[in-house]
Amino acid sequence: MSNEVKLFLTKKKNSPIQNVWKRLKRNRLAMIGLFIIVFVTFIAVFAPWIIPYSYSVQDINKRFIFPNTQHPFGTDNFGRDMFSRILYGCRYTLIIGFGCTSIAAIIGTALGSIAGFYRKVDNLIMRSVDILMGIPIFMLALSIIASLGPGMRNMMIALSITSTPAFVRIVRAQVLVVSQQEFIEAARSIGANNLHILFKHILPNSLAPIIVQFTLNVGNVILWAASLSFIGMGVQAPTPEWGLMISAGRTYLRSYWYMSIIPGIAIMLVTYGFNVLGDGLRDALDPRLNN
Amino acid sequence: MIGMDTKLLEIKNLSVQYTVDDDVIRAVNNVSLEINHGETLGLVGETGAGKTTTALAILGLLPVPPGKVTSGEIIYKGKDIVKISEQEIREIRGKEVTMIFQDPMTSLNPVLTVGEQIMEVILLHENISKSEAHDRAVKMLEIVGISGSRHADYPHQFSGGMKQRVMIAIALACSPSLLLADEPTTALDVTIQAQVLQLMTDLKNEFNTAMLLITHDLGVVAEVCDRVAIMYAGEIVELGSLKDVFDDMRHPYTIGLFKSIPSLTVESDRLLTIPGMMPDPSNLPEGCYFCPRCTEKKSICETIKPELIEISPGHFVRCHINLIKGDDSDECTIRG
Repeated sequence: MSNEVKLFLTKKKNSPIQNVWKRLKRNRLAMIGLFIIVFVTFIAVFAPWIIPYSYSVQDINKRFIFPNTQHPFGTDNFGRDMFSRILYGCRYTLIIGFGCTSIAAIIGTALGSIAGFYRKVDNLIMRSVDILMGIPIFMLALSIIASLGPGMRNMMIALSITSTPAFVRIVRAQVLVVSQQEFIEAARSIGANNLHILFKHILPNSLAPIIVQFTLNVGNVILWAASLSFIGMGVQAPTPEWGLMISAGRTYLRSYWYMSIIPGIAIMLVTYGFNVLGDGLRDALDPRLNN
Repeated sequence: MIGMDTKLLEIKNLSVQYTVDDDVIRAVNNVSLEINHGETLGLVGETGAGKTTTALAILGLLPVPPGKVTSGEIIYKGKDIVKISEQEIREIRGKEVTMIFQDPMTSLNPVLTVGEQIMEVILLHENISKSEAHDRAVKMLEIVGISGSRHADYPHQFSGGMKQRVMIAIALACSPSLLLADEPTTALDVTIQAQVLQLMTDLKNEFNTAMLLITHDLGVVAEVCDRVAIMYAGEIVELGSLKDVFDDMRHPYTIGLFKSIPSLTVESDRLLTIPGMMPDPSNLPEGCYFCPRCTEKKSICETIKPELIEISPGHFVRCHINLIKGDDSDECTIRG
């Protein structure tokens, strides 16, 4: 028996999470994505301590300095250090991206599971979602912000609402497919109740598309937030939000292109990181693709 | 074994209908069965005869709608499963009555390890700690002949036969009184079939579990069953001990089934079949359901439905011809 126990212990070390990690490590693109995200998160957390200059102090003598060793990304029209502003802007980008997507994912998964599992309310939920989906996303976000007033909080509310329908649809479709599987009937046959089946069997089997949608949506929300800030409906100056920075630089695009291009590259990199990590996670989470 | 006191499950006049659009599909019609403690009953019939529907009804797992038990009782240990609450039936499922499904490939959750899936049924029904349940799950794996060290493996890492062993481990984990095996060997190849059947028979005896074995393989029935029920178009047409049905079959359908088994000794170009198709369950004939395909049919068969008659102790047949035979043995020549 002691020999057996030893075997279990060695087996137990390989938990499911470790297996996912092992498979993810083999995917080079996903690791690049993960690296970008970890890097950006690190900067966001420690931004106040690592930025070389204040992101908001203006200096009229240092306007429009081209990128150099002192100011790696140059300075803007108020003489603020762009490098510090970009680094500090990671905070807003990540908070908006993760915050809106998390809210949307939680609400969307709840509504989607209810719609897929308890078919009586299916029509009610799905038709409401259809109404939301019928309105172009940007229009919807704009009208919500217009009624609530511009600002970061209201923009996050708007982007959470616009992100939710996709989650509801994906989760509902997935729940419908998985609940037709034979192992769900097998789970019923051993006396499991609905909640147990939903949480232990259906949702874990629906996880892959939810995670992919999550990562893709973080990328999208970052873009939408940048667009909303660009037109002045989102984060307000002088917050160093990347979209806002692109907007501020557009007047000087001809002579001081770096003011818009650098935040644009930052948005692109982070969005790319989330997208490739999402794809990698989808593959890694499927135990059938082992080895 | 057969006696009033040892009844574990008694099905009385069970009828199940599926309503699809305007059609009423009569999947199970007036089926009466009983299963005694520790006994194996074979339920034989072709596809669509209502075998699986009967099993699902016993577990209260009929898809509602469209399925519905329209009449009858399913009495398990004195309780009518048709009438009890969802809560009560959940306590029976998995602990008292369990089911092994046809296809082990799709009956296991792909994202949980087999150990977790065996633990699941134990934790659902028994008030023990996770580590105790874990030890029990490992023991169950050993019992069905899989190394306990594989408890942390996922279903896709097992072969079909081993997955079916895992299903058996799940089904027997709480030592149920009744095991419903729905074509447990159909998806497996022949050598694995024999192993799985042997395992099931051994464990059934060890745990003293009764079994309802659903199959269309008469060879399987001959190996493991004590009694046999032959189903046709949702009805039981012949019911008796293994010896009664295999050596003294009376219903023309049963005879047809046995004739269609290819023989190793007699050379033939074509396999013998029963001509015709099973009647549409939404439009069953007026008289005997088997009448349109019966080679022995008389005029009475087309109009009057035969009853299930006990022709010798424990041997029931639903056929007019046997009654005629009972009156005058010269008149019947159905046993070629």
